[in-house]
Amino acid sequence: MVRRFAAVASIAGALLAAAVVLAACSPASRMRPADTFARVRARGVLTVATNAGWQPQGFIDDSGQLAGFDIDVAREIARRLGVKARFQTPDWSVMTGGHWRGRWDLMVGSATPTRARAHVVDFAGVYYYSPYVFVVNRMSTARRRADLDGRRIGVETGTTSEDYIRRHLEIDDPSAPAVVYSVTPGQVRTYANSMMPFDDLRLPAGARLDAVLAPEQTALQAIRSGYPIRVLPGGYAFREPLTVVTDKDDPAWTARIRRVIAAMKADGALRVITLKWYGRDYSS
Amino acid sequence: MIFADNVDQPPLLRRPIVFIPALALLFLALLRADPANWPLLRGVLAAAGLGGVLGNGLAAAAVCVLVGANAYVLLRLPVRWQVAMVWVELTLALAALFVSFDLSYAFIRRKLWILVSIGLVNTLLISAVSIVLAFILAMAGAVAKLSQNGVALGVANFYTSLFRGVPLLMQIYIIYLGLPQIGVVVDAIPAGVAALSLCYGAYMTEIFRGGIESIPRGQWEAARALGLSPGQTLRQVILPQAMGVIIPPTGNQFIAMLKDSSLVSVVGVWELMYLARTQGQSEFRHIEMMLTASMIYWIFSILLELGQARIERFFGRAHAR
Repeated sequence: MVRRFAAVASIAGALLAAAVVLAACSPASRMRPADTFARVRARGVLTVATNAGWQPQGFIDDSGQLAGFDIDVAREIARRLGVKARFQTPDWSVMTGGHWRGRWDLMVGSATPTRARAHVVDFAGVYYYSPYVFVVNRMSTARRRADLDGRRIGVETGTTSEDYIRRHLEIDDPSAPAVVYSVTPGQVRTYANSMMPFDDLRLPAGARLDAVLAPEQTALQAIRSGYPIRVLPGGYAFREPLTVVTDKDDPAWTARIRRVIAAMKADGALRVITLKWYGRDYSS
Repeated sequence: MIFADNVDQPPLLRRPIVFIPALALLFLALLRADPANWPLLRGVLAAAGLGGVLGNGLAAAAVCVLVGANAYVLLRLPVRWQVAMVWVELTLALAALFVSFDLSYAFIRRKLWILVSIGLVNTLLISAVSIVLAFILAMAGAVAKLSQNGVALGVANFYTSLFRGVPLLMQIYIIYLGLPQIGVVVDAIPAGVAALSLCYGAYMTEIFRGGIESIPRGQWEAARALGLSPGQTLRQVILPQAMGVIIPPTGNQFIAMLKDSSLVSVVGVWELMYLARTQGQSEFRHIEMMLTASMIYWIFSILLELGQARIERFFGRAHAR
């Protein structure tokens, strides 16, 4: 009897000890406000999350270095803060999921300010607008956007193009132009990355896809790479605002970055960088 | 090679009841195939003025004769030469498949150095460190699983159950995204190495445990009777015998890990698969990059296979004749 009591008591004691240990380890620092700018200045380095597989926004050049539009923008922001930019290239979903806890100071990766995203990260300001176009095989008979009604449209999954074609694009930016939906697809085919829809589109017209909705830049890049496709005339489907993203834990830092971007827009620095990489002024 | 059985029957492929129907099936399959798939043979036949069904039949017959002659010669070679010839033929077939993709070799040459100097270096670094850590974890886990201590047993059971039961990708995400929430910001490479070693350590714990348990209990008892301590018994009596059972599945794990290290690309490590994906994507040449990366993975898997064969020979020397 006594031994059983001792056993029960020691089990209870062990559980109690475990509970104390767990409580001590629990994240008490959850609500601590961060001073990102002090951290950046102390290190002399702005840690930027970005993409490396998306020419010309961000890509690895032949010498193994990151280059591209987003990279130049991030370097310019860092220069104006008086520090150097250093880059990390995690998966898109990892970057845009928020809760960075100081791992990155900034994300310059052509992110769209959608309403859903606003719940987990902050937007520090739109820095350019990317126009979207419908692309068809060169042999396609489609001449106007109306010809695509009821056809199979390919989009990269989880992107603005998918939201647009499914008609629930919600942009969380008062300055953005209103979105007008124009095509009623027969079937939407989603792809895991931005290039796979073009690989299906290049097959003889209509084998797997009738059209792709993609950023104008991606389409022009595919055409330059020899894909037998063409941009459907009739203007842009919509223009997508793209924003610099910050973590939610430091509003003062977000405001500081917003001022930097506004200054870059005002003095034409953004215009110069878009002209350099896109050949067109996408900054306004 | 397993023990050769010398019952006097001809080998399988030399029996007419096997090779005649096999060649007939091949002939019928080729007869139905599109002759446009063999431009060389078709060119020869067209030059001889043979087209249509007759040309198709002749081409199919020619291929069947070639295959039959090839098998005839192969079956009469010594075993080592048979293996070498089969490797050469299958490699050529694979190469023919790749050539049919119409690849840009200039692009591959231009990007190869980046793939090797950054991607391969990172992949090998991650794999090598993870393999060492997984080996240590597995050894500790196996000893804990075989111990009488309930706490050690519970920890080891929980460990293998959790890390074998949760997808490796999730483990990487949990370590990379979860640890910062309790104040520990780990970099991408340490997070990936931790996930890989924990996951493969869990699988290998079971391999080691099974290997150790496969040695009869009498060995432990005999070693104890001779006055060896439990640690000495494990190191000097049990493990040298268990290694023969442990090595082949462990080699499997190492090869699997080399390729699973590509999963850490989700946290932004510039390893081989990450660079192959991004380099191919930026210029719409992903098939080139994927094939190149695959070949690099394969070459290093072959090196691991060769290493495994050497280690197996070393631990199997007690059974050699």
